Amino acid sequence: MSLHDLYQKYHDRVQFLSIYIREAHPVDGWWLGKGITGKMLKLARSKVATDVYDPKTIEERRQVAGNCETALQYGIHTYVDEMDDAVNKAYAAWPTRLYLVGVDGRVVYHGGLGPFGFKPAALGKAITDYLSQTENSDTLIETPTIHS
Amino acid sequence: MTNTIQHRKAATAWQKRYDAHAPKVGDMAPDFELHDVNGQNPVRLSDFRGQKPVALVFGSFT
Repeated sequence: MSLHDLYQKYHDRVQFLSIYIREAHPVDGWWLGKGITGKMLKLARSKVATDVYDPKTIEERRQVAGNCETALQYGIHTYVDEMDDAVNKAYAAWPTRLYLVGVDGRVVYHGGLGPFGFKPAALGKAITDYLSQTENSDTLIETPTIHS
Repeated sequence: MTNTIQHRKAATAWQKRYDAHAPKVGDMAPDFELHDVNGQNPVRLSDFRGQKPVALVFGSFT
C-alpha cells in the first residue's frame, strides 16, 4: 500500500500532512545519483530526484519542496520545515519517517527510523486500528442506554 | 566508499541523538506551526486536536 493509496482511502477521516525536511541525498552531501547506484535508484524509484543540492535558504527549501510535491503527487499538501530543522529534530524524522497522532494529540504510531522503517502499510494498519477503536468508542457513547 | 561510510556514520549518529527524545506511543506529539511551499497558509498540529487524527509524513526529494 502506497502513501497515495492511504491518502485516497482515509483523507476524509484523517488529516495528512506532508512535511518537507532537509534533503537525504543531495548532490553536495551523501549523493547517490552517480554511476550504477544512481541508475539503479532511478529505475527503482523514478520520481525520486538525484540532482538536487541541499537548500541553503528557506526560499530554496520551499522551491525544492514545491518541486517534490509536484513530482511525487501523493495528493497530500506539503508544509516546509524551517531552516533550523526544529520539527525534523523534534520527531527524529530525517531522512524519512511516519507518525500517526490521535485526536487527543498523543502519538498512536511512530514508524521506525528511515529509510528502512518507512512502511506505509504499517501506518495503514495503525490508521485502521485507531479508527476502529475510536468509532467503537463513539458508538458506545452514542448508543442510548436501555433501562429495564 | 570511504565517503559513503562517513556519511552513513554521521546519519546514524544524527538519528541516535534525536530519536532518544522523539515522541513515543502515548506521548504528546510536539506541537508545531509550518507554512506551505509558498510560505503561506500556516498549519498548526494542535489545530486538529479534538477534530481528526493526523498522519505525519516526513521526507525530502532525494
